Amino acid sequence: MGKEVDVSTLEAGGVRDRDYADPPPAPLIDIDELGKWSLYRAVIAEFVATLLFLYITVATVIGYKHQTDASASGPDAACSGVGILGIAWAFGGMIFILVYCTAGISGGHINPAVTFGLFLARKVSLVRALLYMAAQSLGAICGVALVKGFQSGFYARYGGGANEVSAGYSTGTGLAAEIIGTFVLVYTVFSATDPKRNARDSHVPVLAPLPIGFAVFMVHLATIPITGTGINPARSLGAAVVYNNSKAWSDQWIFWVGPFIGAAIAALYHQIVLRASARGYGSFRSNA
Amino acid sequence: MGKDDVIESGAGGGEFAAKDYTDPPPAPLIDAAELGSWSLYRAVIAEFIATLLFLYITVATVIGYKHQTDASASGADAACGGVGVLGIAWAFGGMIFVLVYCTAGISGGHINPAVTFGLFLARKVSLVRALLYIVAQCLGAICGVGLVKAFQSAYFDRYGGGANSLASGYSRGTGLGAEIIGTFVLVYTVFSATDPKRNARDSHVPVLAPLPIGFAVFMVHLATIPVTGTGINPARSLGAAVIYNKDKPWDDHWIFWVGPLVGAAIAAFYHQYILRAGAIKALGSFRSNA
Repeated sequence: MGKEVDVSTLEAGGVRDRDYADPPPAPLIDIDELGKWSLYRAVIAEFVATLLFLYITVATVIGYKHQTDASASGPDAACSGVGILGIAWAFGGMIFILVYCTAGISGGHINPAVTFGLFLARKVSLVRALLYMAAQSLGAICGVALVKGFQSGFYARYGGGANEVSAGYSTGTGLAAEIIGTFVLVYTVFSATDPKRNARDSHVPVLAPLPIGFAVFMVHLATIPITGTGINPARSLGAAVVYNNSKAWSDQWIFWVGPFIGAAIAALYHQIVLRASARGYGSFRSNA
Repeated sequence: MGKDDVIESGAGGGEFAAKDYTDPPPAPLIDAAELGSWSLYRAVIAEFIATLLFLYITVATVIGYKHQTDASASGADAACGGVGVLGIAWAFGGMIFVLVYCTAGISGGHINPAVTFGLFLARKVSLVRALLYIVAQCLGAICGVGLVKAFQSAYFDRYGGGANSLASGYSRGTGLGAEIIGTFVLVYTVFSATDPKRNARDSHVPVLAPLPIGFAVFMVHLATIPVTGTGINPARSLGAAVIYNKDKPWDDHWIFWVGPLVGAAIAAFYHQYILRAGAIKALGSFRSNA
């Protein structure tokens, strides 16, 4: 009985020994999903997740700067507070928690650059991508506004958690740091959500949010000295809107152009090089 | 029916029918078939990109930390200004975790010539693949550090370029010993994480493999940063030495190849011959339950 060949599989042209199937490209406009509650639930989840992300992280930044302010906390304040390492942990750890919580609901993007990368890879529809980005941006603004609402004096005094290119670094350096940082993040997201890897891991994706959180943490360690680390346009937008300072606004373009370019490069690298989905390579037999 | 199957498979496959894993056969030194597969070149590209990202993130973290703790640049109270040496150790360990996770299914996630060398000694990769990986890792490291220098060249030169060299107060023997033991810890963890017997015991779900490898790197950095800045990865040391290009890193550079390769060899021997009882199998004088 077991020896019988599954003719339908052979006729479909699929490789029979593979126990995973790459999902078909998402349509640009999916009329069906517009009528489903799951789309709106996902959008709400992205909004709330991004709101929480910005509230926790910006509150951490403001608290750190207050505790290390010599004029507010005494002359030996420099070593108080959670430190830059603690800020990096806040960003990375919060992404881990929130991706874990929302992965099954919205895919756990929490970042317009991630949504853009997945859209380029045809894993989300255009409508869904736009709704997610809008929800993320609004959530970010609300999250930072909560921080300002609760500690407005400190918020304005300590830079509002806004992303700006630091003194001593050029605009080009900031842009490059954002591009590479977002590449690391989106590349990790692609690896974590790859159906082939899920099949190899016996379809147990339990660890997927952890490397994504660690990727955010790592990029923050490397990039905080340069730009305060954006790699998330919603995060940068939220702080710029609520802080509303000319320096933050004049550098804002870096935090959209850089992440979107980095996400696009990551999408190309993963889809074309690693998954070899461009079947134009006639000279190699692909085992993707 | 059930008993016949057991007896038959037992007779045909030798003893211990209860094992639900098989050790893969030793990789051939030269595998002509794999040279024609895209998967080999994809793996080499993945190793290059992974090592490039590893060096970019980690060296940028080192330079950023030194800049933020530089009193002449960031004020008199700068000593606690950066991510700290702990943050640097996290950057190395965390980045290895992320990158091993991303490339494990593509290239095995080595990102380190010492790991490749250890796995080659254990016959888990072919000679050609090992050499290609090592070249890709070294080139990726050079490009990664090159990116850091391109983006912040003044700070890169001023703050030592993230290069590995022996710290003052430590002898070369101490540095070499630290690199040997540090790499032993890392490669031994890699062997344990990729052991087919352990995968069988864990129901063939290798999801956690990259995490202890990343933590091993993190732990070794905590211990060895004061001694040598921690190499335990010849590509990492080479990348920084090439781009920074000063006498001191080059004088000490041999430590960062001899130490890691010796440590990897010891780890390969320990895991394959003692823990997996490869020698006992060969001798046949003990009944092995490997």
